Amino acid sequence: MLTARGSDQRSDIRPVQSRARLLGAWWGPALGLSALGLITSVEAERTATREIFFNVAQPWAVYVFTASLVGLLIYGFGRHATLWAIGQPTPNLRDEVSQRLRNAVRLGLAQEKIGRDRYAAVMHWCIFSSIVVLTFVTAQVAIDDDFSLHFLRGPYYLFFSFYGDLFGLVGLVGVGMALYRRYIDNLHRIHWDERLEDHLIIWGLGLILLTGFAVESLRITVDELVQHPDWARWSFVSFGVAHFLALFEFEEPQLLSAHVWMWWGHLVLAMGWLGLIVFTKLDHMFFAPINAFLLRTDSPGRLTKIENIEEREVFGVGQIQDFTWKQLFELDACVSCGRCTAVCPANIAGQPLSPMHLIQDLKLHLADVGPAIQHAGHEGHDVRAVSPLAMVGEVIKDETLWACRTCGACVQECPVLIEHVPTIVDMRRYLVMDEARVPATAQAALENLEQRGHPWRGATLTRTSWMEGLGEVPIFDGSQEYLYWVGCAGSLVERNLPVTQSVFRLLREAGASFGVLGQEETCSGDPARRLGNEYLYQILAGQLVETFKAKNVQRVITNCPHCFNTFKNEYPQFGGRFEVLHHTEFLAKSLQQGDLKPQYPIAEQVTYHDSCYLGRMNGVYEAPRQIIEFLPGAKVTEMQRSMSRGLCCGAGGGNMWLEEVGARRVNHVRAEEAMQTGAQSVISNCPFCIQMFEDGIPAVQPQEEGRMRVFDVAELLDRAVFGTDGAGRGSQSS
Amino acid sequence: MHLVVCAKQIPDPETPPSAFKIDTVANAVVPVPGISPVLSPFDAQAAEAALRIKEKVGESKVTVISLGKESAQAAIKQVLAMGADEGVLLNDDAFEGGDSYTTAHALAAAIKKLGDVDAVICGRQAADWDMGQVGLGIAEELGWPGAIVAKDVQAADGALLVQRVLLDGFETVRMPLPAVITVSNELGDPRYPKLQQIMQAAKKTVTTWTAADLGLDAASVGKAGSRLRLERLAQPEAGGAVQIIEGDTPEAQAQALAQALRDARII
Ligand code: SF4
Ligand code: SF4
Repeated sequence: MLTARGSDQRSDIRPVQSRARLLGAWWGPALGLSALGLITSVEAERTATREIFFNVAQPWAVYVFTASLVGLLIYGFGRHATLWAIGQPTPNLRDEVSQRLRNAVRLGLAQEKIGRDRYAAVMHWCIFSSIVVLTFVTAQVAIDDDFSLHFLRGPYYLFFSFYGDLFGLVGLVGVGMALYRRYIDNLHRIHWDERLEDHLIIWGLGLILLTGFAVESLRITVDELVQHPDWARWSFVSFGVAHFLALFEFEEPQLLSAHVWMWWGHLVLAMGWLGLIVFTKLDHMFFAPINAFLLRTDSPGRLTKIENIEEREVFGVGQIQDFTWKQLFELDACVSCGRCTAVCPANIAGQPLSPMHLIQDLKLHLADVGPAIQHAGHEGHDVRAVSPLAMVGEVIKDETLWACRTCGACVQECPVLIEHVPTIVDMRRYLVMDEARVPATAQAALENLEQRGHPWRGATLTRTSWMEGLGEVPIFDGSQEYLYWVGCAGSLVERNLPVTQSVFRLLREAGASFGVLGQEETCSGDPARRLGNEYLYQILAGQLVETFKAKNVQRVITNCPHCFNTFKNEYPQFGGRFEVLHHTEFLAKSLQQGDLKPQYPIAEQVTYHDSCYLGRMNGVYEAPRQIIEFLPGAKVTEMQRSMSRGLCCGAGGGNMWLEEVGARRVNHVRAEEAMQTGAQSVISNCPFCIQMFEDGIPAVQPQEEGRMRVFDVAELLDRAVFGTDGAGRGSQSS
Repeated sequence: MHLVVCAKQIPDPETPPSAFKIDTVANAVVPVPGISPVLSPFDAQAAEAALRIKEKVGESKVTVISLGKESAQAAIKQVLAMGADEGVLLNDDAFEGGDSYTTAHALAAAIKKLGDVDAVICGRQAADWDMGQVGLGIAEELGWPGAIVAKDVQAADGALLVQRVLLDGFETVRMPLPAVITVSNELGDPRYPKLQQIMQAAKKTVTTWTAADLGLDAASVGKAGSRLRLERLAQPEAGGAVQIIEGDTPEAQAQALAQALRDARII
């Protein structure tokens, strides 16, 4: 039975509600306290108020500063916008506007992604809410005075004093947490791209809050503390400080001149800090919600289709202006937080890829060559001749692009909703189709796909080899409900044959109406698309959609999460709409309906590895786990990285056919993680993951004795249903 | 420089052994359904060698010639996609059933018809029959010098510097032009075609010549002209057996293993 599953992973399943609650919980007490303040303050002096520009002679300066700030912001963003405009049109932006608005609120304003790091979530909310509330506080002061509205009086003034102080304090807590993280705790990822701005922003904010309190306290020391201590109490922080200051018995002129200095200091700091928005990553306060609006609304497992590929002059992205403007906009939204790089399997294994640096390098390149490209476009010159550097090859190295597993871990974590995978694959497309610069092993796989319809060079099995000893295997003829799609790995790679056979036996046992294509199967094209050969993919996918239609295929069960993903999310781009199930989904359902009865014990400690294309890309986390729950006696220990945080096995994104460069191999890292659970076997759902573990485990555990074993979920279920000696497995028909 | 690449389409050498069948009555290989023929890998290397020269020497042209059926268009297109300029298919029923000699005869006639050829580059052998005769056959027919099994071919003012693979090393020979060269796999991987070129290649038309176009007498080509007679075609029996070597100590096991290998006349 399923046991040691941490609450952490549980909350992963329903991230939306629980995170929202966590963050919502924060506003609750704050607003509650404020409301309490409001009610009680009604009873207080109705005349309570203060002189707005108390003691300060040149309040006009505020307006000069504000006007220049607004001017600066407009100029700064205008300049950015001219750079984004060199990009290509962004498709589908007008679709699903309501979903986009929801994303902007949920992911942009409510900052749901930040919640994946709890400390950061609290810290960021403290800072964010205090900036929002204190800006609002300052605005009220200005309006009160300028429009002579004088609403800052009576109970509301007291309430206003209260929440102003409260959120000042909250802001200080946030700043304190940030300082702790940066200088004391030394969290690795935030130092990977550390710049002067990181220090300026946080120290600046701290100083603004402190000078704010200082101004307030000095004013209270001079006037309210003497005249209206019952009003002053509402500014509870400054009230306390004022009491402390009073102990020193400063002369009033001393206090007043200190107040003026502090006031100016506060103003200059605040305006200067806000000006940083234009020059630093503080711009994310606008860009992140906008980028959340621009975020794709379809599956992250889908890559864009290059329409009318035969008429293109450039295939994929070779120069910065080949990106869509959304992809360029995204670059400016990056805050160098390092979350993406911290979870990147290639980076973890010491391979030459860091998604954060990739985004930052592109951003820098855009700033470098963007203006000249924009100018050249304007003058009608050749924009492709502008950049002195080849973006693909020099700014971003070939090996960086090849190291990506398209695992989506970076996209999953990015708090400002950057989509690295399409950006990386777009550059790969250029590498493969325009430049034909392909590592030899990947080239062999692609040529094999072209010539033989499968990526496995040197395969000695045929597409029917797995059928041996299974009795009659029904061939799909349109009369059955499901097509069981075995896939190239499931039929041509020795290790995966038992998995295919297990799934087949279980489908038959469950009484499913299904058939297979046998010799007629070809490749789904997925490896070609991930490796960047979109042209080849379109040919393979187009042919297969036709085959499926001709055979009247409506529902497909796949062995392989990669076929599953491309059938489900990408074939609709070619007019192929089928119901697609991964075998674990079908088998979980069969178990629940009682069509399969596991009876033989699998007394084993197991751990479960989420494949990226079933898990992160398609959200199927539960079905395989449910199957394991049905295995009599099996005990699951989850790995530290699991579910949406699962680490790729190393084979994704065509890396099955690439030589790894770097300190370690990803499958060794993941094999170690699996072994750390102490489980006897690791279970997965993907032929690639299984091959990677079969390779990786012996490498990190050379001793054969007690070595961890690797199974597909279906193989274990097969054992539980039919027994190890295969008693019940024999063919039912012959 | 005008270079000619000879390319042959062959049954896929990666056909799974279990699917490979021979018709012992007709003495012929049975084509496996669903497995398409491919360009012989050595010929892809010949194309690579020619294209490398083309890139270095200005105003060069590469023509690819294949003798085969209509399906061999695919092999020609593949070389065109790699960067060759023109393609010629020698397709005639009269060419069927020939041997290395008749193939060389027909290819040489086509090269003569092209006229201004400076060098012919072939793969060291076709990966189906592995005869390795056609290259030198063409040289003989044309009366040109020939060099075989090259790992590198460079143009050097009016000649070719050819680095040949020998059993115990390499030798570099200077070939006056025109010449015939066959290249080996040591040359390196053939290039992956750019999509732009694939699409251009798809649009190119391949010239087809028959025996008559080449002025060849039907009796001198194909089966009629063939000097080689196929007696019997058979598939080697593949099998395996396991013998577990016993022994109490590793030394004893090693000794028993050595003895077993000696008994089997392996060492
Ligand atoms: S998709 Fe995966 S491998 Fe690629 S950059 Fe992102 S985290 Fe790294
Ligand atoms: S891309 Fe996203 S996750 Fe990565 S550093 Fe930038 S903001 Fe952080």
